[in-house]
Amino acid sequence: MRGDLLQKFAEVEVPQRMSKQGPKIVRVAMQPGQDLLAKRGAMIAYEGLIDFKGEIPKLRQLAKSWATGEGVQLMNCQGQGDLFLADAGRDVVVLQLQGQGLSVSGGNLLAFDQTLEWNIERVKGFAKLAGQGLFNVAIRGTGWVALATHGTPVVLDAGEAPTFVDTNALVAWSTELKVRPHRTAKLGGLIGRGSGEAFQMAFTGAGFVVVQPSEVEA
Amino acid sequence: MAREVQRGQKVRLTDLTAGTDLYVGVALDAPGLSFDITLFGLDAQEKMAGDDWFIFFNNAASPDGSVQLLGAQAGDHESFRTTLDKVPAHIDRLAFVGTVDGAGTMAQLSSGHLRIVAGGEEVARYSLSGSDFTAENTVMLGEFYRRDGWRFTAIGQGFAGGLADVVRHYGGEVDDEPEPAPAASAGAAPGFAPPAAAPPGFAPPAAPPSPPPPPPTFGPPAGPPAGPPAVPGQQSFSPPVGPPTPAPAGPPTPQAPAPGLVPLDEFKERSAGGQRWFNQNSKLVKVTLEGGEVLAKRGAMVAYQGEIDFDYEGGGLSRRVRGRLTGQGMKLMRCSGRGEVFLADAAADLHIIQLQGDGLTVSAKQVLAFDAELQFDEQRLEGVGIQGGAMYVLAFSGTGSVVLMTQGTPVVLNCDAPTYADTNAVVAWTTGMRVTVASAVRLQQMHWATGPTGETYTLQMLGMSGQFVIVQPYEV
Repeated sequence: MRGDLLQKFAEVEVPQRMSKQGPKIVRVAMQPGQDLLAKRGAMIAYEGLIDFKGEIPKLRQLAKSWATGEGVQLMNCQGQGDLFLADAGRDVVVLQLQGQGLSVSGGNLLAFDQTLEWNIERVKGFAKLAGQGLFNVAIRGTGWVALATHGTPVVLDAGEAPTFVDTNALVAWSTELKVRPHRTAKLGGLIGRGSGEAFQMAFTGAGFVVVQPSEVEA
Repeated sequence: MAREVQRGQKVRLTDLTAGTDLYVGVALDAPGLSFDITLFGLDAQEKMAGDDWFIFFNNAASPDGSVQLLGAQAGDHESFRTTLDKVPAHIDRLAFVGTVDGAGTMAQLSSGHLRIVAGGEEVARYSLSGSDFTAENTVMLGEFYRRDGWRFTAIGQGFAGGLADVVRHYGGEVDDEPEPAPAASAGAAPGFAPPAAAPPGFAPPAAPPSPPPPPPTFGPPAGPPAGPPAVPGQQSFSPPVGPPTPAPAGPPTPQAPAPGLVPLDEFKERSAGGQRWFNQNSKLVKVTLEGGEVLAKRGAMVAYQGEIDFDYEGGGLSRRVRGRLTGQGMKLMRCSGRGEVFLADAAADLHIIQLQGDGLTVSAKQVLAFDAELQFDEQRLEGVGIQGGAMYVLAFSGTGSVVLMTQGTPVVLNCDAPTYADTNAVVAWTTGMRVTVASAVRLQQMHWATGPTGETYTLQMLGMSGQFVIVQPYEV
């Protein structure tokens, strides 16, 4: 059998914990003792013996806070083999944390190693500005994280210049960054006749920000 | 009995009325202009007492309800109800501010007033006229303030600067911005643009003690001598100030040579290589602003670095466009300043087209952004079959770039033979062709109509070689 499909999209052999299989699929090499937390329903295929469990004690609390709008639930994956994850055709990003912290917008989180410390946090100062909460998952430690973005993202270095990001386009940022809500205070903007860019998050310091090319929420 | 209050005059409220539940009405009249009238609750340092103490259309009451926005009332364009005895003690002043919305100055004011009504009776009136002002576009109308009880003062002080500057003045969020690049946009603003950049002469921002951010640098960073090797055509992911030591808290360390350890490299910001418009990727356009201005679809900014102002684009050319494009969602904002702006729209594919004196006609729905120097003319293609009755297009000409957005990968068809395109899938075409709305292919319409409503209407293009039409694989 021959065909572009077969050649171009054959499995990529990689030893890494997480790798990308094309732009929209994450492949996770599962090992016993290396459990993974993934967005529920993100599994599209697996090879080997992998178990999926929905109930994790911490998740109840998580689901509660997310119920307010983010609506993301996680499942626990364990076993041995290859796990393929995707999220409704969105682009995926994988990255490895080596002791750094990452704050991920709840709707953009696809999967992460269970060895990482994680917590739900509410981005401070934000609700007051735009009348809505912004719930993030703060992840820290050593391990791999997979994100799903709407469209090909860009990673901006906030150390290069203070960086301002539309809150709906915001995917993740290093927790080393200083974050604060920012208002381009064109009051017309608040009134609805403005530039449409009334609120952003401002990032300063050494670290990076992941931005997606879309302002569609979650 | 209404008492006339003169500009600069201060009166004790108890001399006007025994009541503390006051109605304050403001009217500002100028031909062709509209005004934003807002109220700021200030503390003893004359700084905004909080975001929620900025009372305007979208925040119609103070947190405790002691100040409420009532909207337009008979004889007043905007009105407030202030219950002064309920105003919390930390609020020292209530300042009323009027600002021209869009281009225009207070000197154009034909008449205006601020009046105080208590118990259904007007107790004080301060009248303004355009002769009090010159080129200012904002006016501090008056204030209630505490000194042995509440007093009122008619200020009538104008200044050049938009509401943004008022917020800066009152210590609003915008203060946290680093010092604006001097004269970045002010110098470049064409005559009809509202003076958006912080004008000189007005009170400087309150400058909170924020650590000075590293100076914005644009373009490829001046690579640290011992830093990581910069990949050609890519900005190195280096620490900001470039000490030769590795970044302590950097993202995936730039030193790591193994490709797998720096997975984010793939999405790193790419150097535009001196191009003003640059496709960071197929769905993101990076515009490097260095004084020039760009008009973009409102809300298209996803991120920016540097000193960029986003302005409601009103007045002049686009006011006309906006007026006639109502309903088409073609609302523009003006980006000015110095820095890099990332534009995108719902992950649509973006295409940069450079015009070098040629003309391009673009469906208004497919325009993401363009150089402000380009001339553009809004046109309406009418036809019985078009949804909404007409198709709105922008005819660009001049030298500069236009960013088009498409759903899916488009096709460019040459029009040297008659070419037909679905009105819902057409993105753009070269100006100068004969374009007619045709309900052709009647016999075959059954086969390709998209539903019972049968959107069977097409644009017929007839041009010469070199002229083309861009069609997207998606019907809006």
